[in-house]
Amino acid sequence: MFKNALLALPVALALSVTADAQKAPEDVLQGLIDSIESTYLTQSEMNIMMMPDSPALWLVDDGRELFHEARGPNNVSLETCDFGKGPGVLEGAFVEFPRYFEDAGRVMDFESRLVHCMQTIQGFTDDDPAIRTKHGNDADITKLQTYVASLSNGYAWNPPMDHPMEQAMRDAGKVIFYRRAGTMDFSCSTCHAATGKRIRASVLPNSNVPEEWTKAVSWPAFRVGHDNVRSAQHRVSECYWQMRHAEPVWGGTGMTAIISYWNDRARGQPAILPDMKR
Amino acid sequence: MCNKTSLTAGLAAFAALLFAGGYAIADPDKAGKVDFSAMSAEELAEYIILESGGFHLDAAAQEGGSMRARMEQDDMQKACSVVGGGKPDAATLEAVRTAAAASITYPEGGIQLGDWQKGRELSWSGFGFRVGHRTDEHSGNRQPGGNCANCHQKVSDRDGGTLGPDLTGYGKTRGTSDAMLKYVYDVIYNAHAYFPCTQMPRMGANGVLTQEQIADIMAWLLDPESPVNQ
Repeated sequence: MFKNALLALPVALALSVTADAQKAPEDVLQGLIDSIESTYLTQSEMNIMMMPDSPALWLVDDGRELFHEARGPNNVSLETCDFGKGPGVLEGAFVEFPRYFEDAGRVMDFESRLVHCMQTIQGFTDDDPAIRTKHGNDADITKLQTYVASLSNGYAWNPPMDHPMEQAMRDAGKVIFYRRAGTMDFSCSTCHAATGKRIRASVLPNSNVPEEWTKAVSWPAFRVGHDNVRSAQHRVSECYWQMRHAEPVWGGTGMTAIISYWNDRARGQPAILPDMKR
Repeated sequence: MCNKTSLTAGLAAFAALLFAGGYAIADPDKAGKVDFSAMSAEELAEYIILESGGFHLDAAAQEGGSMRARMEQDDMQKACSVVGGGKPDAATLEAVRTAAAASITYPEGGIQLGDWQKGRELSWSGFGFRVGHRTDEHSGNRQPGGNCANCHQKVSDRDGGTLGPDLTGYGKTRGTSDAMLKYVYDVIYNAHAYFPCTQMPRMGANGVLTQEQIADIMAWLLDPESPVNQ
């Protein structure tokens, strides 16, 4: 832990000079804790203590290197990738997802957009490990995502709703959120529509309380129980698994609709990126 | 699961509506070509789940068949899904209640308390029916559990959840009269018979628990010897 803390120091310093990121992720969380009474936000004192040493901060560093490195069959970096705010604009881009992209003709969550850029700009194919490997700290996608997300730390969630497709996906996501199905008749709202309720010992976030919900949707996060950084898609998948529903397809329409509704429910509240979770 | 006739009719009508609009809905490759913004949110949600290839519907389900059947709503699920929260109108609630009462089947020889020690394990176990990155393999020595502790607080030795009511000392004040045994059996089997559109899963009606397992969990709740009532 001590070694981690020392090594994480340069990362913390690097983070502190980025735009609007005078605050570290733990400071953003503290601001939320100060703003509202919430047993969800405060449930793990240990995780809050560990946040400055989060292993996710390593992935920020690794991801920065990968992002600017010439890679793939085309031997170019991702610096020309348009995440919605123009080619190469990364600050505040992550909190404005999902978003409709004209060049793809569909609403994309962040991870889908990243893969799209790796394919169209760098020339990677689905079979390349860079794209095929989606899980764990060692996956390029995890590193790149954590880096770009870190440049939105402290920014308010602000998924665009200018395009009719963006609204349609958000609204369908809301229906899906409340749609009961499966062996246990669950929907997302079974667990996420009340304040301070628990599944066993875990306090659940309420989707109707944006100050709580922003932490719930702040992924990538170092998932302590998994000892790995996970993405929003992992969280959605795990919820669907626990609900005894069918698994959403990675980057698919269901995943995108759900994340559209998610991020919209956190609108206006600052993102904690990267976060640390149980 | 329960009756899906009205749902099937609804889907057929929906498909017809889409077809009239000229959309090729059966082909997942065309998902991006369909005009999502021309649909209502409800239509788009159904399309996304059941037609667009957005979920792994072909995966095998433990109860047999595929996961598609799980994602298709039955009458209760449809009636009780209120977008934004809340309950449906009184007539709908009554229809849900009536259908739930009719769904309940009882053990031959009447309802009797089972083994509270088995019930204790069943009430704690959250295993069963999960499909995806790690699929629960139901087998002789590992059968689905009741998931009770996920939502209910029962005894102090292990932390239960709080989504459902606290059941600590449940049997102490209620006793074990025939009427009470029937009531608790019904609530575990299909709680909508008393609380229409409750969040409580239909453990009997949906085939999560057998009649014998329900009797064991009932003993955990009601048996004076059970730690729940100590």
